[in-house]
Amino acid sequence: MQEWQIVLPEKKHKKKFFGNLLEEVIKPAICSHCTACAAICPVKGITAGDRPIDFPNWLKDCVDCGACVKVCPRWDYRPLGGVGSYIEMFSARSKRFLGQDGAMVTEFTATALEEGIVERAIFVARDEEWRTRTVSIIDPEQLKNRKITGTKYSFADVLPAVKEAVLDSKAVAFVGTPCMISALRKMQRSFRKFERVKLAIGLFCTENFYHSQLSEFLAKKGVAMKDVLKTDIKKGKFIVKKADGEITFPVKELDGIIPPGCKVCQDFSAVEADVSVGSVGSEAGFSTVLVRSDIAKRIADAIRARGYAEFRDASLEAVKKLCDYKVKIHPYPPKKEG
Amino acid sequence: MKVEFKARRLDLLRMHLDVIREAFKQAVAPDRVTVEYPRERKKYPANFRGIIVFDKDKCISCFRCAHICPANAIQMTFYEKAWPGIDYTKCIFCHFCVDSCPTGALRSTKIHDIAFATMGEMKLNAVQMLKAPELTREDSFTVEYVVDSQGWRLEKKAEIDELALEQFIIPEKRRVSVCVDPESCLGCRLCVELCPNDAISVDRKANKLNILPEKCTGCGICVRNCPMKVLELKEVK
Repeated sequence: MQEWQIVLPEKKHKKKFFGNLLEEVIKPAICSHCTACAAICPVKGITAGDRPIDFPNWLKDCVDCGACVKVCPRWDYRPLGGVGSYIEMFSARSKRFLGQDGAMVTEFTATALEEGIVERAIFVARDEEWRTRTVSIIDPEQLKNRKITGTKYSFADVLPAVKEAVLDSKAVAFVGTPCMISALRKMQRSFRKFERVKLAIGLFCTENFYHSQLSEFLAKKGVAMKDVLKTDIKKGKFIVKKADGEITFPVKELDGIIPPGCKVCQDFSAVEADVSVGSVGSEAGFSTVLVRSDIAKRIADAIRARGYAEFRDASLEAVKKLCDYKVKIHPYPPKKEG
Repeated sequence: MKVEFKARRLDLLRMHLDVIREAFKQAVAPDRVTVEYPRERKKYPANFRGIIVFDKDKCISCFRCAHICPANAIQMTFYEKAWPGIDYTKCIFCHFCVDSCPTGALRSTKIHDIAFATMGEMKLNAVQMLKAPELTREDSFTVEYVVDSQGWRLEKKAEIDELALEQFIIPEKRRVSVCVDPESCLGCRLCVELCPNDAISVDRKANKLNILPEKCTGCGICVRNCPMKVLELKEVK
């Protein structure tokens, strides 16, 4: 006879576990849309995509296993913030790839694949309309595609793809926002199989958007999504690059469509990631890289040894400033409006 | 011209003599290679793939047959348990279902020559499969091809071959479901729900799952459906 124990989280309401999640995370609007619950749900009932997290028929279909609660980064939420601990910090530009700034996320993934540290990586690609979809990268050549590299500013179901990858591969890498990284760490603490995620690349992040809302907003500005070549946020300005010029406006105008879950997030630099990458703290065309774990350090050393990237110094002050700014503008518990 | 015609005439005569000799030979000792079906029937091997018969007492509703069927010809229908029915419009007679059956509930016969009046009748349910279809036997001889050093010939015996086959289970090592990574178990209990033989049970008070190997038939339903793939079939001695 084989017997094993399951650890269940404590219920806060006399409901099934998804009901608890609904009461504690989704209804108070602190859900970050990291899609960890959708990834882990054994009956695949939790839906994500471009709409808030939901489980249409949870009263009947939820099997009450508690997995969603175990992996939710906003259950018993204690915001993380600051720059966090790191082994080294630098500013760099990849000589091989094109990306948002210095393409260092791409470079880290490509080198990890080449070094055999990971078997595959989950990236987010976009279509003509900037709708997101996840792609599995097994060959660095795939990263030459400009629709795969670069920032999208829209939610994507990354963690469900990571879970599928973890079931098939022994070593997986993925790129995600700070909330996804925190969710992944919770998944790793609860379910051992997720230790197969060897490299979690975190992005500097202040907020993310629903694709439908962002495209509607830009349409009002007279920009059709399919004309957009690149989106960027720099110095409080949202920049949309098109073939025939550039449109900029203050990020503050986007306030109305910032998902409420992002407004309680204080983690700018993805403090739980293996390596965090972003543009803040570097000059144009370079990415700031915060190497936080030994695996990331090994990859960084390999990039340096092979001369795949150009290195410079990054400004810690600039990163610190934005970390503090995010804590300031995103208080938790949230301020009552009015 | 005359010479040529003479030569042709000799040829024609030779050919005629050949035919007459062959006719005499066949009349005295025929060496035909065809089977005179239906008066004769060929002797089929013991692993012949014919119409499939179903034994409801042995079936554990593990769905292996339905899962493995490459032609998607097997439909499980609920009677006392879920039992397989075969759609012979789709069946390609690969007998993967028979081979995959862990308890020998499906077995083959040597019957291959049955006719259906309509397409609808070709879809058999489990109850119709309990017995082999009845045949009107017109044959009184069994023939067999014999190959030896002198060549090959057809041997004819005045006996009737038994068409129903004994159960033919492919010997395989017994395998049972084992949780190889309990620390990744979600605790969703899908395996408990799905096990056709109640080999996996859950203690809701102590939050413990357990597998009873003696009850496990190794059907693999739990292994296929585990969302974290923590279950595996392992051989037991």
